[in-house]
Amino acid sequence: MKLNRRHFLGASAATGLAGLSGLPLRAQANTLNVTAYGGVWEQAIRDCFVAPFEAKTGATATVSLGGPAQWLAQVEANPENPPLDVLIMTPDLAVIAAEGDLMDEFTVEKLPNLADIPQEFTDACLGKGTYFDYGVGGITYNKQYVSEPPKGFAEFVERVSNGEFIASVPSISYGPTPVFFLWAMNNALGGTVDNVDPFFEAMAKMKDNLVFWAGPNDFFNHLASGEADLGIYFDGRTWNHVDEGVNWIDFINPEEGGAMTTVAVQKPKHASDLAWDYINEMLDPANQSKFADILNYGVTNKKVQYSEKLAARVPAMSDALLPPYAEIARVRNGWVDRWNREIGM
Amino acid sequence: MSLHAFAARHRRSLLLAPALIFLAVFFVMPLFDNSLRSFTAEEGGFTLARYAAFLTDRFYLGVIVETVVLSAAVAAISVVIAYPVAYVLVRKSGRFSGAIIFMLIAPLLTSIIMRTFGWQVLFARRGLVNQWLVQDLGLLDAPLRWLNTPGLAIAALVHVLVPFAVLSIASVLQGVDRRLEEGALMLGASRWRAFREVTLPLTMDGIGTGAILVFMIANGSFVTLVLLGGGFQTLPLLIYQQFNTTRDFALASTMSTILLVIAVGCLWLQLRLVRRQGV
Repeated sequence: MKLNRRHFLGASAATGLAGLSGLPLRAQANTLNVTAYGGVWEQAIRDCFVAPFEAKTGATATVSLGGPAQWLAQVEANPENPPLDVLIMTPDLAVIAAEGDLMDEFTVEKLPNLADIPQEFTDACLGKGTYFDYGVGGITYNKQYVSEPPKGFAEFVERVSNGEFIASVPSISYGPTPVFFLWAMNNALGGTVDNVDPFFEAMAKMKDNLVFWAGPNDFFNHLASGEADLGIYFDGRTWNHVDEGVNWIDFINPEEGGAMTTVAVQKPKHASDLAWDYINEMLDPANQSKFADILNYGVTNKKVQYSEKLAARVPAMSDALLPPYAEIARVRNGWVDRWNREIGM
Repeated sequence: MSLHAFAARHRRSLLLAPALIFLAVFFVMPLFDNSLRSFTAEEGGFTLARYAAFLTDRFYLGVIVETVVLSAAVAAISVVIAYPVAYVLVRKSGRFSGAIIFMLIAPLLTSIIMRTFGWQVLFARRGLVNQWLVQDLGLLDAPLRWLNTPGLAIAALVHVLVPFAVLSIASVLQGVDRRLEEGALMLGASRWRAFREVTLPLTMDGIGTGAILVFMIANGSFVTLVLLGGGFQTLPLLIYQQFNTTRDFALASTMSTILLVIAVGCLWLQLRLVRRQGV
């Protein structure tokens, strides 16, 4: 017999399972395994979606923490019996998962609240998912050192290049960077998905005055420690810092339009049908409104009424640019390779 | 043969079995599967194309060289710092040896992320060090840009890894018969010559073990480099990127296998050194 990866994995799994005999392979039928990012996200997911789901269905939802790349890999490894029932995904991975025929189709019959979600958000997931939450990538700055912040990406590039500011920008190791930074800035500077020269030329001009952040907390440290004066960050995370008492930080949605950074929800094929009930709760206007209040991000149900504080912070969907995720997915690896060779970090 | 007799005859193997099974299932098999992925073509079948592409690309060759050079530099600096500390610990510390060992190990009890953020806070443009140099001492007109420089990234790695080198050297130094050094001194050698020609050669095994241990950990280090940058592009950073950004798992597996080969090569080197020393 020829040994290939499938045989090998099967043998490995069998060996592992031999030691786990007696344990259930999947959770019980009335238990759903849903996903969440850690920290405040997890609590918001539990309070806003898990609690009403459990109250209405009598089922139980367990929350798996992690990130979309890991969750998608878990589903890809076992598509016939996925270990997760509901995935929270970045938009580009949502497209990859949909194209891989790993996810179920979203319809109003299965999800009545889907009727109030803009159709373009479901279309962006190729009909196999939809966006339920969005933020905008823009300019976050330290008010103590930046009295007149750049109004847009072009001004940002010019003033950082001139040495007026030290800027903290996301490194390429951070998953969303190709879209919310590279695409958004390139688009603002006149580039296209097939021509990212404007972005790389701008980075070359700014390079002496840049530091790179590897994760959102890292960015905040750069600003708090005084390493950087401003940088490219998210609106919701900025407002979270403000609500925690950080009074020296502020955010600007670039005049060219920041990239709408969305969070998609998807249901893997062969996952429990209870997932539809849970996802419907995620799309419910009252639940989304509560979720937005906790996280300071916009939500996608058209019936949501924001609180006064949030209404002033959340940009209208029309003020943010919805990146062409499917097109970007086609060229993204080339962008990353070019970044590695020309920029490094 | 009765069960009792079988157990008695194979007692050693049976005691080893849980550890071996654990390692086989959770370490060897995943590693093997990972390597297999790098040799599997997209349409199935065996391929060396990824290795050929990787090892003939100047950029990726540069990444391999940078990974090895960075690790070697960290190992060399760590050993130079660790030897005097180990010497004091073994020969001079007396009743304070416990306290010194605790101080050495204590930093390892703190999260590496917290320690790395500490470097950021200390060496930021408006951080404590620049504040001393510019405002308090007036030694500089403008703050220095320490972060994202190779020097600071190496310093942070050395800070994390020096205890491993100290403990490796100290354990060997402990076993050196002091009468040999005393004999050299009695025969007219200076302290420096006695150290250079007697103590140092006898502790080469500890130096080698410490250096290789530090080298291998630095080889796979990720958090410090991703947070402090330093402009380094190393294999662990690119591997993470393939999983997190591009989802090119096959390329990640190729890089992982190359990193593994470098690590195994180091282990082989260590074994050769140890055998040559006759330890």
